[in-house]
Amino acid sequence: MLTRLAGGRVIDPANGRDAIADVYIRDGRIVEAPPGGSANETHDVTGKIVMAGAIDIHSHIAGNNETLGRLLLPEQRYPTDLSHPGHRPQPKGAWNTSETGRLYANMGFTTVVEPAVLPHNALQAHLELADIPIIDKAALIVLGNDDFLLTLLRQRESADAVRGYVAWTLATSRGLGIKVINAGGAAAFKDNVRSFSLDDEVPGYGISSRAIVKALQHAVHELGLPHPLHVHCNNLGLAGNVETALATIEAAEGLPLHLAHLQFYSYGKEGPRGFSSAAARLAEAVNAAKSVTIDVGQVMFGQTVTISCDVLRQFNARKQARPKKYVIFDGDSNGAGIVPYDYRSNDFHNAVQWAVGLELFLLTNDPWRVFFTTDHPNGAPFTTYPDILALLMDRELRAQWMATMPKEAMDVTTLPSIAREYTLPEIATMTRAAPAKLLGLKDRGHLKPGAVADIAVYAPDGDKAKMFREAALVFKNGALVVRDGAVVAQSFGRAFNVRPEPERAIARRMRDYYDQRYGLSPDFMSVPEAAIGRPDPFERVPCNT
Amino acid sequence: MAEAWIRGDPVTLQAAIVEAARLLGTSRMPVVAGLGTDVAGARAAIALAERLRGTIDHMHSEALLRDLDVMREAGMMITTPNEARLRADLLLLIGPGLIEGWPDLPARLFAKPDGGDATRRIVWLCPGTAAKAANAHQKILIIGDDPADLAVVLAALRARCAGRPAGNTPLEAQELDALAAELAKAHFGVAVWSSAEHDGLTIEMLCGLVKDLNAATRFSGLPLAPPDNAAAVQQVSGWMTGFPLRTGFGRGYPEHDPWRFDAVRLVDSGEADCALWISAGRVVPPSWTRDVPLIALAPQPDGFPQPPEVAIAVGRPGIDHDAVEHLAATGTLAPVSARNPANTISVADAVGRIAAALPAALPC
Repeated sequence: MLTRLAGGRVIDPANGRDAIADVYIRDGRIVEAPPGGSANETHDVTGKIVMAGAIDIHSHIAGNNETLGRLLLPEQRYPTDLSHPGHRPQPKGAWNTSETGRLYANMGFTTVVEPAVLPHNALQAHLELADIPIIDKAALIVLGNDDFLLTLLRQRESADAVRGYVAWTLATSRGLGIKVINAGGAAAFKDNVRSFSLDDEVPGYGISSRAIVKALQHAVHELGLPHPLHVHCNNLGLAGNVETALATIEAAEGLPLHLAHLQFYSYGKEGPRGFSSAAARLAEAVNAAKSVTIDVGQVMFGQTVTISCDVLRQFNARKQARPKKYVIFDGDSNGAGIVPYDYRSNDFHNAVQWAVGLELFLLTNDPWRVFFTTDHPNGAPFTTYPDILALLMDRELRAQWMATMPKEAMDVTTLPSIAREYTLPEIATMTRAAPAKLLGLKDRGHLKPGAVADIAVYAPDGDKAKMFREAALVFKNGALVVRDGAVVAQSFGRAFNVRPEPERAIARRMRDYYDQRYGLSPDFMSVPEAAIGRPDPFERVPCNT
Repeated sequence: MAEAWIRGDPVTLQAAIVEAARLLGTSRMPVVAGLGTDVAGARAAIALAERLRGTIDHMHSEALLRDLDVMREAGMMITTPNEARLRADLLLLIGPGLIEGWPDLPARLFAKPDGGDATRRIVWLCPGTAAKAANAHQKILIIGDDPADLAVVLAALRARCAGRPAGNTPLEAQELDALAAELAKAHFGVAVWSSAEHDGLTIEMLCGLVKDLNAATRFSGLPLAPPDNAAAVQQVSGWMTGFPLRTGFGRGYPEHDPWRFDAVRLVDSGEADCALWISAGRVVPPSWTRDVPLIALAPQPDGFPQPPEVAIAVGRPGIDHDAVEHLAATGTLAPVSARNPANTISVADAVGRIAAALPAALPC
């Protein structure tokens, strides 16, 4: 079966292409134009835009903490106004796995990474990922507040031992990469520490947050994991925390490091309210630090819920909960805090946060190193992506939004002075080509023959948000899954993972450790393929050699 | 031994599947309830209920909802059994039902694994029927007696911890103040309770006390999970529907209402006209009193007040077949290998076969 997408504007920055062309699909892959060019099925996409399926590198879509959020907030919905006549009235936007897959696919997203899976809870995260239809997914595994690693570092064990442990954890939890969240901060909070920065030491272990980040950064790099260490810095959300972000960028020391949702770390202490944007300063540092990648964590307005394994930060934010309820969960390693929040455009702080995110997008100069996220659902639900894309592409639209916000908030940012508008090739780089490269997914994020046929087709519209919200066509593995912004066929994707070979010795050591510390076999944290309940649920991504 | 029955008579499994699909397929308002099953069984059952536009409920929803209502009204601070075991320097046991709820609790929590037992104090507040169990452990300090006093004792304790005066309680004022001082002095205290034993306001007062204590020190809560894998099924419902149990699909999308979608109420009021009852770990019959066509998935067909319309013998999760279940020791969903693998059909497979036998077009 040969499928032809005929006559669209193909925007494929990974291959340096932006031209009117045909795209051919056979057996789930993109293929060369066959001689003679006779297709079994042709979709006329003249006047439309053809891109690879979009990839989200950081969106909290699965796991026990998300489901804890669902249970805390039965009133929470995905904000959508999808009301296509003729569809069943599903668009109540229930916050569940099937809506997650459906709403992502409608926007042309075909791969999404859940960035915060705790090793002891990995099975639930994978079960939830398996129930998200259509899209492919992956999990980043959280280390850096776990007793085993902290003890290795306290005892000054070798880098080899840290690498072995990281490899064992990834194999056990079936992760694609490693994330560290307020390194040491959650462990310190259990000892009643209430603020924790890069050079603070974890009580009882005598090692600094910086030492944990560096150890993991090196282990990830030396194991050849495609995705660099994914860092959630200390001091999230606090006025003046730009200093922490700058220090963390400096700590990359030329090796790959990914800083997540940097918007939440771009705050100065200037202005009449002692809270200001420091995004311009931070963007300059990001532009200069070529080994560093970031994602933004854009804030948008409306009711959402913050779900974070940064339990210390979430505890300190508990009194800002809107509505006034929260869960603080001291886990075996990181735990989590679930704090509902309603970002309001007339709130000074929230308006500054909104502007800061856009400044980071617009003042960084390399769409290969800046990634498109809201830290869903923390800055905003992912269903706001189309509106954010429209804001990036249209300064008039930004001006209209700014006009509705407190002037004193805009005065402590540089947003009103920024004229840049993202182009479609830049959008395609930031949401397709670059994420595939960052995650090591060599056959995704582009449209060269051989690539997996994950394709999104958009119909240009004066309302750019509408264009991105309702893809004209989406193909997943070559099969048509979305037409005119509505799912037409349901399939289930797979979860990507890496599997650096752990040595036998570490498996034995972990068995002894779990027996001694927990009185349990580590089997409770394993993710057996048979337990997932869907055929062929995993896909292995090779490590760099 | 037979593996399926229609009105008490042995039939082939296939005949039972077909009859179950006929009953559910012609029903206008089916309930899928009991839900004593593993994660795979829960996923299959919830998907079936969605397709039937029926409702889902668990046999222990009352207990689940008591904790949940406190959490979603006021919030909660919680921790894991492992952290309680490793870290707690003060264990505050609340009322009865704890050892029944988690038989391994004494083994897991009473002693500190690092041998630093001297640094762990255990207080059992108003143990009631658990007094004997509490007395069996010398190191446990028992305060109060009757669990009915807990609401007022916890309120007074919370007031004293906050430095406010408290009214009379069954405890001596000195005893109360000493306990308040002990709580404040803890470095990482953990309160343990079983929601089946308490009303919502008592649990809310306890959780409020825990939150208050965190203004100055660290304290957390450890609610014990009800039996029959209730906590796991609640998680599955949470991710698949966005809601806990007592969720209905009648309008084509999930809606949650603890009163409307209470399976017992739905059957007893006559709103439900068919029930799929799942109780795979052990036979627990439904507690409704009205007669309703019943399809039972249980280890044996016995134990129901009258033979179900359809009964299918299913394997016990983690005993007859591998399963994913909620583990009390870790508080997580974990894989459990079959202890005595048997060929009995699993709930997931039985429900899957019933779903496959349904007509393509359903009545609503």
